[in-house]
Amino acid sequence: MKRDRPSVIVCHACDLVHRLEALPPHARVRCVRCRAELYRTHGATVDAAVALALTAAVLLLLSNAYPLVEMQLNGATRQTTLLGAAAGLYGQGYAPIAALVLATTVLIPMFQLASLLYVLLPLRRRRRAAGRNELFRTLTWLRPWAMSEVFMLGALVALVKLAAMAHVVPGIALFAYGALMLTMSGLATLTPTAQLWRWVEECRP
Amino acid sequence: MTRHVRGSAVGLWVCTDCHETVRVPHGAASRCPRCGAPLHERKPGSLNLTTALVLTAALLYLPANLLPVMHTHTLFSESDDTIMSGVLSLLDDGSWPLALLVFVASIVVPLLKLLAMGWLLLAVRRRRSGNAAQRSKLFRLVEFIGRWSMLDVFAVALLVSLVQIRSFATVHAGLGALAFATVVVLTMLAAQSFDERLLWDIDPDG
Repeated sequence: MKRDRPSVIVCHACDLVHRLEALPPHARVRCVRCRAELYRTHGATVDAAVALALTAAVLLLLSNAYPLVEMQLNGATRQTTLLGAAAGLYGQGYAPIAALVLATTVLIPMFQLASLLYVLLPLRRRRRAAGRNELFRTLTWLRPWAMSEVFMLGALVALVKLAAMAHVVPGIALFAYGALMLTMSGLATLTPTAQLWRWVEECRP
Repeated sequence: MTRHVRGSAVGLWVCTDCHETVRVPHGAASRCPRCGAPLHERKPGSLNLTTALVLTAALLYLPANLLPVMHTHTLFSESDDTIMSGVLSLLDDGSWPLALLVFVASIVVPLLKLLAMGWLLLAVRRRRSGNAAQRSKLFRLVEFIGRWSMLDVFAVALLVSLVQIRSFATVHAGLGALAFATVVVLTMLAAQSFDERLLWDIDPDG
């Protein structure tokens, strides 16, 4: 690490004071009392995170542009999209659930990708984007609210229920969204909160 | 030598947003030098906010499970599904792994979250010392699994938008879905507003 390691670090989960001594490369430091991760001496490169975020952005576009599932029943066919899933609830007078579904499946992942790229792309040229602190803090808070993997399981449950009464064909968007789920969880592993802040610090002039 | 030194006892605070350790000599609240978040020794009002969220969620847990989440009309039948009857109908279709998954995500997890958070809050409020290491493990489990309860809400959303074939079959969302989604959101907010360090404050040797 280029930056001087702090000599004293306090556990964010149990408030225990630790003195950090010389660490080998590729070390992961956990709190001796509560086992929360305190520090890592290695991490992903900004380029890797940018690449994954761009991939995810393309997949998110695809999963919104194509139908998610098609249902065939007695000669009638009907298909729906991600936005359609929220719109259906809205149309039946359940605006709060519609908003929740739209936010957790589309809007929050979109915001995460956009703000990550907005901060990381200038960081590659050692420039700091305005408002990056507020964005990274918001990203940390929003982390549990992006639910692509939960949505995929929910879709699986819905498809199995439907298959009992109709013929169901998974659409392009379902595969795109499945790939998005994998990309997003890869991105989350590469960019734990501590990593985001380390990148910002390393770029300090 | 004291074995466990608390950061707050020696003027070291941890930023709640970016986890930076900050020296705060006179306990004067200021901002984190790294991320600019307001600094607090503990999340302000954590105990009361978390308690309020958990209590509200517990109230809504009943309608969430008793009211139908979905009405289905077909040519031949009309039915109301609650969370539990949805699990049973998956079981009838012969897909027991999926029935088990929905049962755990929609019934076990919300109940576990409410009981666990209630127990942790009570322990902190009554300053009942106990095994902080185990309590923090329980809290991290609750924090990690909470979002998976949204599974049923997504399934209902898809069925509602897809099954709209007039005169053959239509699906409508029910009030139970609204109550259920609210329970999930409130318990997730409760886990986010809870300050885990409170568990260790009452039990320094864990």
